[in-house]
This record gives sequence, structure tokens and C-alpha cells, in this order.
Amino acid sequence: MTPRILVVDDDNALREMVGIVLTSSGFTPEYCPDGNQALATFQAVEPDLVLLDVMLPGKDGIAVCREIRAVSGTPIIMLTAKTETQDVVLGLEAGADDYIVKPFEPSELTARIKARLRPIASLEDSVTIGPLVLDVVGHQVLKNGAQISLTPLEFNLLLTLAQKPKQVFTREMLLEKVWGYHYKADTRLVNVHVQRLRSKIEDDPDNPKIVSTVRGIGYRAG
Amino acid sequence: MLSLFRRSVQARAVATTVALSSVLLIALGGFLSFSIGNGLFEARLSQVLAESEVAVIDVQNTFAASSVNDEVALQTLMNSVVPKLEATGVADSRRVALLRTPGQSGTQLLQSPISADLDTNVIGQNFRNEVRNSAGRVLYQSIQLSTSRAGLIQISPGIVVGSPVEIPLAGKYELYLVFDLSSEQQTLDFVQQTLLAGGLVLIFIIGGVAYIVTGWLVRPVKVAAEVSEEIANGALDVRLLEKGDDVIAVLARSFNKMADSLQQKITKLASVSKMQQRFVSDVSHELRTPLTTIKLAGDLIYEARESLDPSLKRSAELLNGQIVRFETLLNDLLEISRYDAGAVRAELEILDLNQVVGMAISSIEPLANKRGSQIQVELPGEEVLAEFDARRIERLLRNLLANAIEHGESKPIVVVVGMNETAVAVSVTDSGVGMGQLELERVFDRFWRADPARKRTTGGTGLGLAISLEDTLLHGGSLDVWARPGRGASFRLTLPKVQGSEYDDSPLSLPSDTISTEDESFSERKEVRS
Repeated sequence: MTPRILVVDDDNALREMVGIVLTSSGFTPEYCPDGNQALATFQAVEPDLVLLDVMLPGKDGIAVCREIRAVSGTPIIMLTAKTETQDVVLGLEAGADDYIVKPFEPSELTARIKARLRPIASLEDSVTIGPLVLDVVGHQVLKNGAQISLTPLEFNLLLTLAQKPKQVFTREMLLEKVWGYHYKADTRLVNVHVQRLRSKIEDDPDNPKIVSTVRGIGYRAG
Repeated sequence: MLSLFRRSVQARAVATTVALSSVLLIALGGFLSFSIGNGLFEARLSQVLAESEVAVIDVQNTFAASSVNDEVALQTLMNSVVPKLEATGVADSRRVALLRTPGQSGTQLLQSPISADLDTNVIGQNFRNEVRNSAGRVLYQSIQLSTSRAGLIQISPGIVVGSPVEIPLAGKYELYLVFDLSSEQQTLDFVQQTLLAGGLVLIFIIGGVAYIVTGWLVRPVKVAAEVSEEIANGALDVRLLEKGDDVIAVLARSFNKMADSLQQKITKLASVSKMQQRFVSDVSHELRTPLTTIKLAGDLIYEARESLDPSLKRSAELLNGQIVRFETLLNDLLEISRYDAGAVRAELEILDLNQVVGMAISSIEPLANKRGSQIQVELPGEEVLAEFDARRIERLLRNLLANAIEHGESKPIVVVVGMNETAVAVSVTDSGVGMGQLELERVFDRFWRADPARKRTTGGTGLGLAISLEDTLLHGGSLDVWARPGRGASFRLTLPKVQGSEYDDSPLSLPSDTISTEDESFSERKEVRS
């Protein structure tokens, strides 16, 4: 079965065009033209990934993103016409995994979708870091025996760091390994998601013990 | 003091008024003092002459009527003349001398009676000669009397009146009456002092009045100047107080009217400009969604071009190229509109300029290779550290390089990096078609193209250099151009090492014009500095 992609965009032409691109790349597109219906459609369709326009009539993309995140960890990629700091950061903080700036090319779109759907490679079945046990096969994280719910992206980020404890990862390295960027990308992606990850796994997110910051370089686990 | 005069209208007006009224008062005082002095003298003189004539006749009659015939009796009679005519008083002092006319036959037997405190030297010889020859008339002369009072020698004016007197048996004598005018002099002195004091007081009053009046006239002007300054500094709703119907109120009203209309125009222009910026920004955003659809569709068609007819295939290729160009244009427009809206902030880091130059060159290299342009780089042997926004500076350099490649006629392009204590610089020099003076002047204008007829192959948007200039100014740097037709062009970017600091000279120099001075007009550099 091909991965199902929910396209939330009010522009009919673009929605259809994105659908054509997705179909020709082996995905099954589903559509929603309105922010107000987005969550209902999401729950009915149960997509593998959501493409979400920021500017929507009714509810805007950031609010929709927050709603979906509240019920699911499904990857969300925002489509934005703005590259202004504020919009991008708001979208990421609302839980979007990645964003694409309009206008984009078909190859860029499919590359970003594939990167989000591809599971991260791991040799071990289970990785332990501090009080956490990562079940690679079951995509689960246990902290002191209790399950912590992480999005696939957060899981991948934590797994990448945890597989090589003590090694410092630069933001660029993480962008390549976790997000699949092979060229210079927005390092704010890393910053925002490390914060989100910490808020779920750390006892005190302001004083992180599991994922620590190496000033001026990047992050490391342990 | 001098600067106060230059600066203050009021000081000048007061000084001029005081000076002019002083001159007038001095003239008036002099005239009054002279007239009063003269009047006093004339009055006293006529009195003196009248008294003298009476006295002379009296003396003459005394001697004529006497029947003395011995010398002792005559001497007694003569001696009696002096106390009879003498008067001692402060107000009306009179001294008397009865002097024998010299050069007469017969011996001087009788003493000449003289007032005790009279110095006969005050009666001049010339005057005595005149009196002798006066044939009985009474003559007078102004003299100066010196009196010693309380140990001080005081000089006071006086009048001496003389007349010949015939004394029987004794011969010709001259009777002199000396009048002291010190009381008149005192009156005159008092009048003069009063005039002086009054004049001084008057001048002070005039100065004060001038100060108050000019201050009253100057104040509205001063206030108007202050308000103008405030308006010029951006406080557009400051106004003058309108009070009354005089010329100052008219000034205030006209001024306020002017300020109103200026404010309206400025506000209108500002809102129009803001709307325009918003419009550009909105358009750039709104165009993105349809452009995305076009781009996706164009890309699918382009990917499938091999299966299309030759004409459709070429159409797909053209479409693809123009979509890329459209997108670049949209990005540039958005960037410029951000600058216009003042919404741009540099993300500053301390970085090695050499690395950024290297990145810019490697990203432009495919284009350079395609055009056969060789890029020669001259870097200093050390790190060229400065504080700047790497993304913007790299974009700026890429843009300068793209320009050099486009106009460089495939000749080598030279990139030089330099630094000094306060600044860092990069210059990009080509040896291509260059530019003339008119082109140089417009090179940073938006959508301006060096030559409208020139074939453009690199697909620039016409906003590149305008954005480069904005990027430079954002960093507090300068972007200089040198160009000459047929000899190429050189762009030099200079940035301060530390943001917000000043720098003196650019570490690099632009080509000098030692080769030909005839073309001097073309060698003028266009310098843009914040």
C-alpha cells in the first residue's frame, strides 16, 4: 500500500497539482481545502504525512498543526510563502516537523516527504541512554518503565544522538541525518525540535541531563 | 561678545539704539550746557557793566567834588574808594584796584589802593593799555581767578572791568573792578552734572525699553524658529500659539497653515509609501501560490520534454527557464520591499571574509565556466575576520561576480581581499565592456540596465545591485564603483571590522587613472556611503 498524504491547502489549482506530483511519485493524495475541517479529515483519512499550508481560510495552518499534534505524531510538513522568522518558528513550535518555502520544485517536495517517511537505520533493536530505553523496532521510548510518546521525528532525533553517546553532533550533521538535508538548511529546525524533545524526556527541560547543548557546536546525548 | 552680537538680533538692536541715543544726548547736552553757560555769563556781564559804570561815575564824581589839596587828604580819599566799592560775599564778590597810569610826568607820591586779596597780575598789560586809550568808556575782559580756599587752589572765571579816572593833583589813574563768577560757574557745573546724570539715566532707560520692545518683537520669531526646528526633527504636530490680530499673529497663523499642509502632505506620502511597500510585499507573497502550481506543472512537462514535439519541447524548456527567472525576480522584489519597510536585520557573526569569498566563487563557478571567464583570487595569507551577515555578504559577492561575468567578455576576473586596522574589503574587477559616466551614475538604480539593447544571458533581475547596496548600507559599509568604457569595471565592498564602528580608508584601492587624463570625466568614482 502506498503512503497516504493529506494535502491541506485552499488553493484548488495548487492542491490538484501537488496531488498530481504526489501520485506520479507513488503516493496516494487526500485533500482538504479548509482549516476548519482539517482535523476531521485527518482523523477520517489517517494519513502517513500531512502537507499543511500556513495561510488557510478559517483556521490558519499553525492552529491546525497544533490540533493534529495534540492527537497524533504523524509527520507534518508546512508549506509557507513566507520565510520570515516569526512564521517559520511559530509553525515549528506548533509541532511541524519541517517546512517548504513556496515556490518549490516537485523533486524537493518528494525528497522532503520521503525523508520524513523513511525510518532511521539502526543496527540494534534497543538503545539505552540514561534513564531512557529506546525500542527501535516498536518505535517506543520507556522512561523508568513508563512510556513516553514521541513523534517519529523526535524519536529519530533522540535515536541518532543516543546511538553515539558522548559524540557531539553539529546542527548541520543532525539536519542531514534526521531531516535528510544534504545542503545548507535552516538550523532553527534543530533548535526547536531539541527543545520539544527535551520538554518530553527531561526531568527539568531548562537544565537538561539527557540531551545537552555544547555551546557553539551542537548537541550530544549523555 | 562679538558672537553674541552676531547671534542675537536683540543685542544688536539694543546696542544700536543705545549708541544712537547716546550721540543725540551728547549733542543735546552740549548745546544745552553751552546755551545755559552763555546765558548766565551774559546776564552777569550786563549786571557787572551797569554796576561798574555807576561805580566809575561815582568815583569820578567823588574826586571831582572834593576839595582836597594836600597829599595826605588825597591819599585818604583814594584809600576810601576801595572799601566803598569792594564787596565780599560768595555770591557777589567784587575786588577793586585803583592804579596809576604809568608814564606820567611828576613823581609817584601816592599809593595805589588795592583790595587786600586781589592779585593785580590778573589785570593784563594789554587790557590796561586798552583802558588807558578808551577815552572814558568802561571796558571789560574775561579772566581766570585763582582763589585759595581751604588750602585748595581753585580756578574760577571772572570779569575785570576797567576805566580811566582823572584824579586832581595826582594825575591819571585807572579804576579796575574784578568780579568773581564762581557762583555762576557753580550753577553751570550743577546744570552740567544734572544733565550728565539725567542723560545717563535716560540712556539706561532707553536701553531697557529697547531691550523689552525688541524682546517682545523677537520672541515670536524665536519661538517660530524653535517650532520649525522641532517640526524638522519630526514632531509634525507642533504649532505656534495664535493670539491677537497683529502681524505676529498673522505670522503664527501662516506658519501653522504651512505646517498643516506640510503635515498633510507628509502623512499622505508616508501612507502612500507604506501602502506601496505593503502592496509589493503582499503581491510577492500572493504570487507565490500560483507560481508554485506553475512551477510544479512546468517541471512535470519539462521532465517529459523528450516525448514531446520539437516545438513543444522547446516551449517546455523556455517555460522552465522563465519560471526560474520569475522566481528570482519575486525573491528580489520581496527582499527590496523588506528593505523599504525597514524590516531587515543583519544576523551578525564574526567570520573570515576569505571563506565567504570562497563560497561565493564556488557557487558562481559553473556560470563562469560556461562563459569561459577565469576567476583569479588574491587573498591575504591570514584570516580576514570581521563582523557581518554571511548570507547577505555571500549573496552580494555572488551578485558582483555574476555582473563581472556577464559584462566581462570572458576576460579574467580578479577578486582581491584586503584588510587594515578598522576595515575589510573585497574588490571584483573585470576587464570587459565597462561603463560610461551616465551609466555609472545609475548603476545602483532599481531595474536599471547598463544597456537596454544588450543581450542578457545570465538572467539578472535588475535589482541585484540595488539589493547589494542595501546590504552594504545595512552593514555600515560602502560600495564603490570604478568603470571606464571598454576597459572594464571594478566594484569594491568595504565593511567595518566591528559593526557600528567607523573606518578611515578602504584597505583596497580602486584602479587609478594614470593612463589618460583626457577621459577624466569617466573616471569619476561613484561613492555611496551611509
